[in-house]
Amino acid sequence: MTPHDDHRANDPLDLEALPGQGRSMDEDEDEAVPGEPRKPDTKGRGRDESDKLDQYLLRRYHLYGDRKAREQLITMYLPLVRSLARRYASRGEHFDDLVQVGAIGLIKAIDRFDLERGVELTTYATPNIVGEIKRYFRDKGWSVRVPRGLQELNIRLNKVIDELVPKLQRSPTINELAEAANATPEEVLEALETSQAYNSVSLQASPNGEGGEEDAGLIDYLGGEEAAYDTMEDRTTLAPGFAKLDKRERYILHLRFFEGLTQSQIAERVGISQMHVSRLIRRSLEKLREEIGDVDNPDPSLLARHVEQSS
Amino acid sequence: MSEIIRVEVAAELSAFSPVRLVLGGLGTRLDFSVEQLEDMYLATEHLFRAVVRAEELPRFGVEMRLDGGALWFSAGPFTSRALRKEIEPATPDGACLDLCRLLRATCDDVQVRENDGSYQVILVKSRRSPA
Repeated sequence: MTPHDDHRANDPLDLEALPGQGRSMDEDEDEAVPGEPRKPDTKGRGRDESDKLDQYLLRRYHLYGDRKAREQLITMYLPLVRSLARRYASRGEHFDDLVQVGAIGLIKAIDRFDLERGVELTTYATPNIVGEIKRYFRDKGWSVRVPRGLQELNIRLNKVIDELVPKLQRSPTINELAEAANATPEEVLEALETSQAYNSVSLQASPNGEGGEEDAGLIDYLGGEEAAYDTMEDRTTLAPGFAKLDKRERYILHLRFFEGLTQSQIAERVGISQMHVSRLIRRSLEKLREEIGDVDNPDPSLLARHVEQSS
Repeated sequence: MSEIIRVEVAAELSAFSPVRLVLGGLGTRLDFSVEQLEDMYLATEHLFRAVVRAEELPRFGVEMRLDGGALWFSAGPFTSRALRKEIEPATPDGACLDLCRLLRATCDDVQVRENDGSYQVILVKSRRSPA
C-alpha cells in the first residue's frame, strides 16, 4: 500500500476510495417494475455500499458545500423520480413535466436532509417527491368552473391525441377524436375549449422555489443542452421579450413561425407531444404579450421590435 | 353551396369566445384537424387583439364562411392605419415575429380588401393545408 492509498483508505470523504465509483451515473435506463418505486441508480453496488455512497455524498455537500456531490445525488436519484412520476402519468399531465416537478421534490429533499437523523435518503426523498407532484396537480387547477364531465373528457382527449398522432402521422380531426373518445364532435370542441381555463405551472420555476435570474430553470437543470436550441440564440438572447422565454420555447417559436413546421413536426423534432407543443406556443406568445405590457410601449407591434432588436 | 355566419361583436377580448365556438363548429364541418383549428384560433385571436388595440370603433362585423373546402374569416370594416400596418407592413422584416408573420404562418391566405375608404381583413384556412 502506497502512502497515497493509505491516505485514501483513511479519508472518509475520498470519493475514489468508495466501491462502485468511476462508473457512469447515466448507464442504467432499464424499466422499473410496475407499481414498485424505482431504486436509485446504484448499479454495481450493494445496498450497504449505495447507502454508504449516499451518506458520503450528503456529507460532502452539507459539510463541505460540494456542489458536484449534490449533482451526483440528483443524477443517482432521478430514476426514483421517474418511477414515482410514472404512477401519476395517466392523470392527464405529461410525464416529462411530472419528472421535472418531482425533481424539485428530490432537490428539496437533498438540500434539507438532516445528517443527524440517521434515515436513508430514499426514505426521506420519496414523500418529498410525491408531495411535490401532488402539489403540482393541486396548483394546476381550473381557473374557472368547468363541469367535471368536460374536465375528464379534456384529460381523455389529451391522451387520445397523443395516441392518434403517431398512428395517423398527422394531427387527428375533431371527428376522429370524437370517435376515439366516444363523444360527439360538439362535446370534443367544448372539452378542448376548457383547456383555456386550465392553469399551467411554469417549468421555469427555479428548483429552490425562488425566481432569481441566476437560478437555473428546471428545464436547464434536467434537460441536456440541445445544440439545435442555440440556432436562435444569437438573435434572441438580448431581446427583452424573447429573454423571457427559455431555449426550448424560443426554438419552438422559431420552428413554427420562421421555419414553417407544423406542431406535429415540431413535436417529433423536439420529442414532446403535439398538445404540449400547442401549449408551449400559446404560453410563449402569452409571455411575449405580458412583456409588451411590462415595457409600456405605445407601439402595438412590439413583438416585432423585440426580434428586430435582437437580430 | 357556401354557408355563411355573420355576427357583430364588441371590440373587446371577451367577445372572442363565441367567435371561437363558431370557428370550431365550421372547422369540424370541414373535417379540420386539431392543429388546423388551433392555427385558425391563434390567427383570429391575434387579429382580434390587434383590432381591439388599434381600432376606435366599439363594434365590428365578423363573417365566417365555408367555401370551396376552406374556412373564410372576414372582419371589418376598419379604417385604422395602425392595424393595416400591422397586417401589411410596408417593408416586411424577415426576422420579425409580428402579426403579419403570425397570420401568414397560420393561414393559407391573408387579404386586405379595400371598400369605400375602409377595408376588410380576410383570413383563409384550407382543409388541405399542412397538419
